[in-house]
Amino acid sequence: MTVLTTHKGGFGRLARRPEAGSFLGMIVVYIFFAALGGQNFVGSPGWSSWLNMAAEIGTIALPVGLLMIAGFLDISVGAVLPASSLTVAIISGHFELPLYLGVAGGLAVGLLVGFVNGFLVTRTTIPSLILTIGTMFGVMGLTLGLTILIAGSTGVFIVPDTLSHAIFGAALGGMFQIGIFWWLGFVALIYGMLHLSPWGNWVFALGGDKESARNAGIPTRALTIQLYMLSGFAAAFVGVTQVITFGSAQVAAGSSFIFNAIMCVVIGGVTLTGGAGSVIGIVFGTITFAIVNQGIFFSGLDPNFGSIIIGALLLTAVLSNDTFRAMALRYSARK
Amino acid sequence: MELIKAFLRRPAAASILSLIGVLAFYVVFGGVDLFKLAKAASWVNFAANLGIVAIPVGLLMIAGEMDISIGAMIPAGSITTAILSGYYGLPMWVGMAGALALGVLVGTVNGLLTVRTTVPSLIVTLGTLVGMQGIVLAAAVLLTGNASVTLAAPDWAKFVFGQLIGGSHQVIILWWLGLAAIFAFVLHKTRYGNWIFALGGDKVSARNAGIPTERLTITLFILSATAASFVGMCQAIQFNSAQVSGGMGYIFNAICCVVVGGVILTGGFGSVIGIFMGTITFAVVAQGIYFTQIDRNWSNLIIGAMLLIAVAMNESFRKLALSQVRRTAKKEA
Repeated sequence: MTVLTTHKGGFGRLARRPEAGSFLGMIVVYIFFAALGGQNFVGSPGWSSWLNMAAEIGTIALPVGLLMIAGFLDISVGAVLPASSLTVAIISGHFELPLYLGVAGGLAVGLLVGFVNGFLVTRTTIPSLILTIGTMFGVMGLTLGLTILIAGSTGVFIVPDTLSHAIFGAALGGMFQIGIFWWLGFVALIYGMLHLSPWGNWVFALGGDKESARNAGIPTRALTIQLYMLSGFAAAFVGVTQVITFGSAQVAAGSSFIFNAIMCVVIGGVTLTGGAGSVIGIVFGTITFAIVNQGIFFSGLDPNFGSIIIGALLLTAVLSNDTFRAMALRYSARK
Repeated sequence: MELIKAFLRRPAAASILSLIGVLAFYVVFGGVDLFKLAKAASWVNFAANLGIVAIPVGLLMIAGEMDISIGAMIPAGSITTAILSGYYGLPMWVGMAGALALGVLVGTVNGLLTVRTTVPSLIVTLGTLVGMQGIVLAAAVLLTGNASVTLAAPDWAKFVFGQLIGGSHQVIILWWLGLAAIFAFVLHKTRYGNWIFALGGDKVSARNAGIPTERLTITLFILSATAASFVGMCQAIQFNSAQVSGGMGYIFNAICCVVVGGVILTGGFGSVIGIFMGTITFAVVAQGIYFTQIDRNWSNLIIGAMLLIAVAMNESFRKLALSQVRRTAKKEA
């Protein structure tokens, strides 16, 4: 009897976890494209193509997800990515300074933009969506203007040394980019921060009720600034790996990451209203998104169906999250 | 002094000040010729295309909701018109009706999903944005085998939706002015406008006061999606062809116009005149830079700075307005 109840309770608890829906979605999508794509998709060509994409988006989606759990949005990541890769390319390519200076400069740009975002969000009453749209336009303009001013063109080239290329741009077996391992590292790190440390509880508290969080002694301003610096850093990191992998940086890159990262997070079960979500969910959401995006090229379907599937997935995910959340809340209310 | 205060309390104040500021900036640092700028068509055309979408998006934001699916609805409207009337050779009005009907359909879906669930409308419309992008592309490629479709519009359609007045100003400018007047009347002079403000101010109280909040929300979503497909339809008629891409730029641009125009994202505050002025300001910043000696690469930086300054002004003016209301209320009590 006891065994039965725990088992039942265990299953119920599993179904109510925020990542349950996204895990299910991931499996369904994988089976769907495995059936259509065959050997190529289930083999290393398929795995490497969606893992490479998941690593890039996933690195940005993690801190964007943390921000959304805390009840904030960050649109400016789409502008930070090219800003950082151009900083690297200008410092180490155009001025031919050592690459570690370029990488440090690129990452510093991300941290700086993140700090500005966080500072403005905590010091004004402007909603974070509007504020980060403003910084997005600002950073985009600065990137373009300064690049033309300094380098004289919208694309800057760079020849990375062997060691940096091995760290940021290597491809294992010619297919699996090293970014995948960086991403897994970030996942472990952020998982520890959100789910194992008190810092994570603060993030959930901030998203649940900002006023109460501050009254409970949580340094909400510092926390918000940290979260924005984290997302700026992540976007800048992806910019650094891109410029080192491809040997060039373009002004017009990165804007697709804005909505893509938000979609990964939402498919992963994070609600925009804040206070709920998990790192594992965000990872599942990212993988689902990447499988659909890349699997479509293995499936023989028209690539445009990918967008339809993602749109449908997104709506299904939010609708089922809605149901799951209502279930979970009803359950805890009954207790 | 009272006059200035009364002006500052209006939602449109920040956008008018921003416009003056931007023009002053362009004159001082860019050496712009204001008469040449005023006569130029480029920024007016830009403002009209954007403004027709920005007004209903602004109404939604006053009501506390958000619609980013417009980015997909503009190409959807133009491709639907071109496929029906161009590729299949059906009468022009069928293509136009098709485009507008698609807007109504998508708007209804957005509205229903928003009122029936607790999912924020930003996420709902992000879903329909991506979904519609795929549907439009897939439909164009499957039906016509091409990502761009040509259309030869009859003369009457060209005259009403796609002619160039004086060889440079698109006729859509007149549509924009007309629609702005209608929307201004509805928002500020009818009870529906009061409902929209009430909805954005406090949804629960609005419903308790007997306002049909669900129907109102769905109607607003239909208006914004249909306005976007209308703009797409006009573009297809004017340029004799429709592209599946394009339109994504409208999402952030429309939000910028609305926010510069004094609407706050949390709802309940704003005006059509403000949105109208915000659109003009945005268009002058984005297109006016071509008339200056300033390198046009800096235009995004100017847009970002203007947006943040305008929003900051709006916030402080709104506080002024609220404190005034409180003082008057106290006096009356």
